[in-house]
Amino acid sequence: MDVSDILAERAEKQKSIAVEREIPLETDTGLLTVTDLNPIDLESYNEDLEAFLQSNARDGVQALLNALFALPSTPSPDGPVAKLPPPITQLPRAKPLPKPKPLTKWEKFAKEKGISHRKREKAVWDEEKQEWVNRWGWKGKNKELEEQWLAEVPANADTDHDPSKIARKERKTRVAKNERQMAQNVARAQGESATSGPSTREQRKNEINRTLATSRVSTASMGRFDKVLEGEKKSKGLKRKFEPAEAPVEQEKAANLALIQRMEKEPRQKKAKKDTVDGVLNVRKAIRATSGGRGSVALGKSLKGGRTKGKSRR
Amino acid sequence: MLRTVKPKNARSKRALEAREPKEVEDPRTVIFVKGTHTGERLNTVMKDLMALKRPYSVSFSKKNTIRPFEDHSSLEFWALKNDASIFVVGQNSKKRPDNLTFARIFDNRLLDMCEVGVENIVSMEQLKTPKSTPGHKPLMHFSSELFDSHPRYTQLKTMLMDLFNGQVIDSVCLSGLEHVISVTVAPDTQDLISASSATLPTVHVRTYTFKMLPSGVKTPRVELTPMGPHFDLVLRRNREADEDLMKAALKRSKIAKKDTESGLGKKRKNLEVDEMGDLRGRVHVGSQSLDKLQRKKVKALRGDDSERVRKRVRT
Repeated sequence: MDVSDILAERAEKQKSIAVEREIPLETDTGLLTVTDLNPIDLESYNEDLEAFLQSNARDGVQALLNALFALPSTPSPDGPVAKLPPPITQLPRAKPLPKPKPLTKWEKFAKEKGISHRKREKAVWDEEKQEWVNRWGWKGKNKELEEQWLAEVPANADTDHDPSKIARKERKTRVAKNERQMAQNVARAQGESATSGPSTREQRKNEINRTLATSRVSTASMGRFDKVLEGEKKSKGLKRKFEPAEAPVEQEKAANLALIQRMEKEPRQKKAKKDTVDGVLNVRKAIRATSGGRGSVALGKSLKGGRTKGKSRR
Repeated sequence: MLRTVKPKNARSKRALEAREPKEVEDPRTVIFVKGTHTGERLNTVMKDLMALKRPYSVSFSKKNTIRPFEDHSSLEFWALKNDASIFVVGQNSKKRPDNLTFARIFDNRLLDMCEVGVENIVSMEQLKTPKSTPGHKPLMHFSSELFDSHPRYTQLKTMLMDLFNGQVIDSVCLSGLEHVISVTVAPDTQDLISASSATLPTVHVRTYTFKMLPSGVKTPRVELTPMGPHFDLVLRRNREADEDLMKAALKRSKIAKKDTESGLGKKRKNLEVDEMGDLRGRVHVGSQSLDKLQRKKVKALRGDDSERVRKRVRT
């Protein structure tokens, strides 16, 4: 069987959709764009502008469609749907990338422990009513206790004992707790994002603790005979640290040598005194004596003032 | 800067959430702003461009005293208020007749601007030919070596792409493609790359609808019909993007890149789900080398040994 005819026919058909250019056209199928980087033929451009532009555009569109039809596609009632690759051309975004949402306290804990999120359905089955009711909200299941038409009252209950009121109060405290935790999560997220260090609240807390610790030991007895308030925590002092009774020989030796060296060294205070004593004059004492204990600055001032007044010009 | 709004009800909360930055962005909303004077020609061009961009276009049809190159604060304000990120500002003056300014916004700040003069206008109405359906995505065709080499033309190219085709989509219905926006630069006679002060060649913008004709193979043959608007652009002033801002605007999320490379949900190599719904994978084990195969050592098979013996005999 001779297939050359069929092949030739097929090649002929291919030719009608082929686009031949010196530089192959760049197609960016992700953005449905084709770029033709070939220089424009000046002759045909000058001859008939509109016809040239149209034929040029036709070639570009044909090349782009060739690329689009070559993409993997799925059939649909309206025609084939081509799956596009990610775009090549980098176009600027309109808004910055979204920042990751800060985790709530529970989410953080669950992540550390590896607890996976379990979705809680909003509707629950009510056995009595034989229908699905909301877990909370309108006709919510959590209001069941409050809306009972008959409630058990314990024998020793007060006269004003109201079970539905108690149940409602309990529910309201649960809601309030949840709201408080939500607010805390928001505050924590803001604190984390605003400053990398501790939040202002944390700073203030530390400051107060420090002041409290100082004021406690600021009495004559250093706080020994102070009244201890209820719920007051014992202040944490410096922890004394003791060397182990038994230590390696080298360590002991090094420690002892260091101690001897320290003993040999003259204390700094003495050195400072020696400086002044070394000379004939003890400057510190001299200033104290002449200024009458008012210090060097006052002495300097008075000397200067005396001179400007010109009391005694020698 | 506007005060930060705290939503008071669920509806306004949803509306605010819709405006928050997203990983895969919504199509850009374009605002067409009329300046203090816009002639009839400029009006038709803006109207036609708006028709092409519908439904993601907003028209500011009253007169606005705006000079984007002198003060762009109102552009940023409008962008914030309307959640828009591209502006087309029309202004007709003696010095710059039929002036269009394209301005791009990133993060409610001006990114870059490009000013063009519009000439040789043929509107959509003037051509009595079939028009494209609003909302269908256009194809874009750029033709000139300058789009790759000259910064002004690259800017114009990305600007027009952003204007009409910026949205990243993952699939497209091939039979829904019906029009093309073709942008061609006139041949440059002065060798632009070397001579910087030379006048920039004009840009021809044409729009065509196309028909897909059977060709005998899978890919159809294409035939174009002019649709309009047709106009030529002359490049005027421009404002380059700030480098840092552009860098921030071009940032891509790492997850998306990983997604595409590992093929999460996209193309997963050597994995398939069979008829029973089981996931089957194929593993390539590499070519097997028979030399390294552990086999029973038989004296007769030791080729090397005999050679060693021969060597020993020779020496």
